[in-house]
Amino acid sequence: MSDHAVHIRGWGAVSTLGWSAAESARNLIAGHIHPAAVCSSSHLTSRDFKAFEIVYDGNPLEKSLAMLDAAISEAFKRAELTKEEIAESCLLVGTTGGLFIRNEYEFTESVRLNPDKESPPISCRNRGPGEVTQLIAGKFGIGGPTFTLSMACVSSSHALVVAAGLLTQKKIRRAVVVGFEPLLNMTLHGFASLLLYDSERCRPFCHTRSGMQIGEGAACIVLEDGRVETAGQNRYTLEGGYLFNDNTSLTSAGTDGEMVKTVVQEALRRAAIAPESIVAIKAHGTGTRDNDLSEGRGLAKVFGDHLPPVISLKGAVGHELGAAGAVETALWLSCLEEGSLPKSFGFAEIDSEIGFAPSQINRPAPAGDYLFTFFGFGATCTSYVIRKI
Amino acid sequence: MTAEEKHPSISVIAASYLGPSLSPNEDLPWDEASLPHSCDDLVQKVLGQPMRRAGRFIKMVCAGAMACLREVPPAALKNKRTGIFLATGLGNGDEILPFVTQVFKHDGGFPSPNQFANSVSNAAAFFLARTSDIRGVILTVSDEELSFEAALWLAQSYLACGEIDLALVGGCDVYTPTVEEYRERMNTSPANSRDLPIGEGSSWLLLALDQPERIGEILAVQMHSAAISPSEYLRSESYSILSAAAADSPCRIWLPGFRLKNPDAPQGFGLHDYLQSCGIHPTASAFGMARAMRTNPASLLIHYNQLASGRTAIIAAKTSQHIE
Repeated sequence: MSDHAVHIRGWGAVSTLGWSAAESARNLIAGHIHPAAVCSSSHLTSRDFKAFEIVYDGNPLEKSLAMLDAAISEAFKRAELTKEEIAESCLLVGTTGGLFIRNEYEFTESVRLNPDKESPPISCRNRGPGEVTQLIAGKFGIGGPTFTLSMACVSSSHALVVAAGLLTQKKIRRAVVVGFEPLLNMTLHGFASLLLYDSERCRPFCHTRSGMQIGEGAACIVLEDGRVETAGQNRYTLEGGYLFNDNTSLTSAGTDGEMVKTVVQEALRRAAIAPESIVAIKAHGTGTRDNDLSEGRGLAKVFGDHLPPVISLKGAVGHELGAAGAVETALWLSCLEEGSLPKSFGFAEIDSEIGFAPSQINRPAPAGDYLFTFFGFGATCTSYVIRKI
Repeated sequence: MTAEEKHPSISVIAASYLGPSLSPNEDLPWDEASLPHSCDDLVQKVLGQPMRRAGRFIKMVCAGAMACLREVPPAALKNKRTGIFLATGLGNGDEILPFVTQVFKHDGGFPSPNQFANSVSNAAAFFLARTSDIRGVILTVSDEELSFEAALWLAQSYLACGEIDLALVGGCDVYTPTVEEYRERMNTSPANSRDLPIGEGSSWLLLALDQPERIGEILAVQMHSAAISPSEYLRSESYSILSAAAADSPCRIWLPGFRLKNPDAPQGFGLHDYLQSCGIHPTASAFGMARAMRTNPASLLIHYNQLASGRTAIIAAKTSQHIE
């Protein structure tokens, strides 16, 4: 094990399963999950959509900021970062909406507080995705360069790979990678308009799947160049990150699985890991017809008859869009700390076109290599390996 | 804290600028009150065909970037691993706003799936990838007024490590929907920005490592977490090193970003006040750099930019003796 690898020094997350990655992982392993439900937040205008909503006693803008605060604080605490170390860190944020929640909250509040008046025009008052990055940098005193990647569902998984590349090149000493996505009317209605929403439940890789369900979340992963001892009971490295963007289809990764195969094989090649060494796969597994078909076929092409356990977390926490990379990675790391991999929720029946069932039992989480896959709008793909040492 | 400057110098193979007049690499008159103009003629002129089912932002991204790629012979692009680094401060507000209006008000009909698809943050980069037949490293970077600098910094890293052969780096922001809202989204006020019209643009550089056929070089992209004044920067050791590296450049050109209340060039510098040509918009620095690259031979270019918070970014470049 090289001391010059990209080490994971800390992580934290807020998901619908808890206000920390540790709590979320324990609930995931114990099966204490709540199906997506009609949401209660005051800014959501339609009660037609079920989503994975984080419970909070306060307005949605305050909640969003509290989610960020909790996730980043948990990661910094786990990493035992000093103020000086935070100050010299590079910040990479993956988000699609940034603080767009402010527009939605202010508009709905204006309508609520003025019931007798005509509703005001919709306005965009947020400063673009980078606004949240500067907010985080200012609040936590992060003084290194800041980057905001706004890449739809791979925003924060791409950010992790970009960060790992900068660390490997020694352009930066440490990276704080944040994923952030609150529930928005814009995305709920948007995916519904694309007919990609499952009104019942999220069923990754299931024959009966009919779409995704959105979740909200925030997460933070601290990556460092060189060996670290402060992450937890075990040590973790990020290996073989690869990002790729195709230009064939805006909405599909190609249902023949070829692109998925290429991306996963390249991630494994960069990690210098043979497919048979992979202990388990944290799949993207959105529950949409095309994504799961692309991914399932791609994984089958890479692993053949030796497919390791495949687990999608989206049946338990929903699809956190741009935050999915960071949130699912943080939850997985906490599961590894607990020594147990959760089952894949929402599955009932094998799809013969996919040909396998995602893992339906909790499994031990030994030391070894774990593969992560993420796919997104705009034919974007990310894959990497996390090694538990 | 300063971002490290360990990048090797990067050749600028081509540059193209596009401002509110929607005429690539020309400075035609325009005025804030008449914005936004239709860019369909521009798309037809640059791409040779219309872009159906795409809004102004996507069209501007594609037209601006393709105008840059057209500056080099196709053979220079063939079989090259090209990365796209699209910088945008505000993204595709042009399609987000109508979509959200439909969501909240339903007075424009039900939300359009096409409009939602186009409004997603990286849709414009996807359309550009398809138009230019580029696959691989494609990043959409959105860091307010320092978006272009952030994208340029990342592009340098990808070139330096050999992951790509060419980097198409540009910035695009489009006017929408009102002057007041546009200014609010950019967080501009009389106290923190120059009193100039707001504008828009899509301006691009094509970069490579060590190319003999070049119009210039990016010497450094520096990002400072705190405010650093122009005079502090020009007294710094890093500027001394750059200045020495550009000793063969007889001209020194100062390019001030729109947060700099006093745009006067420091002593020893000429002023390239490009904001008069493109107006204030978050990625105006891309316009400034591309325009200066094309119009100032044998020069050291220093672009100075800031966020309202004070975070500062500086691009240092030099141009070749003969540009055209």
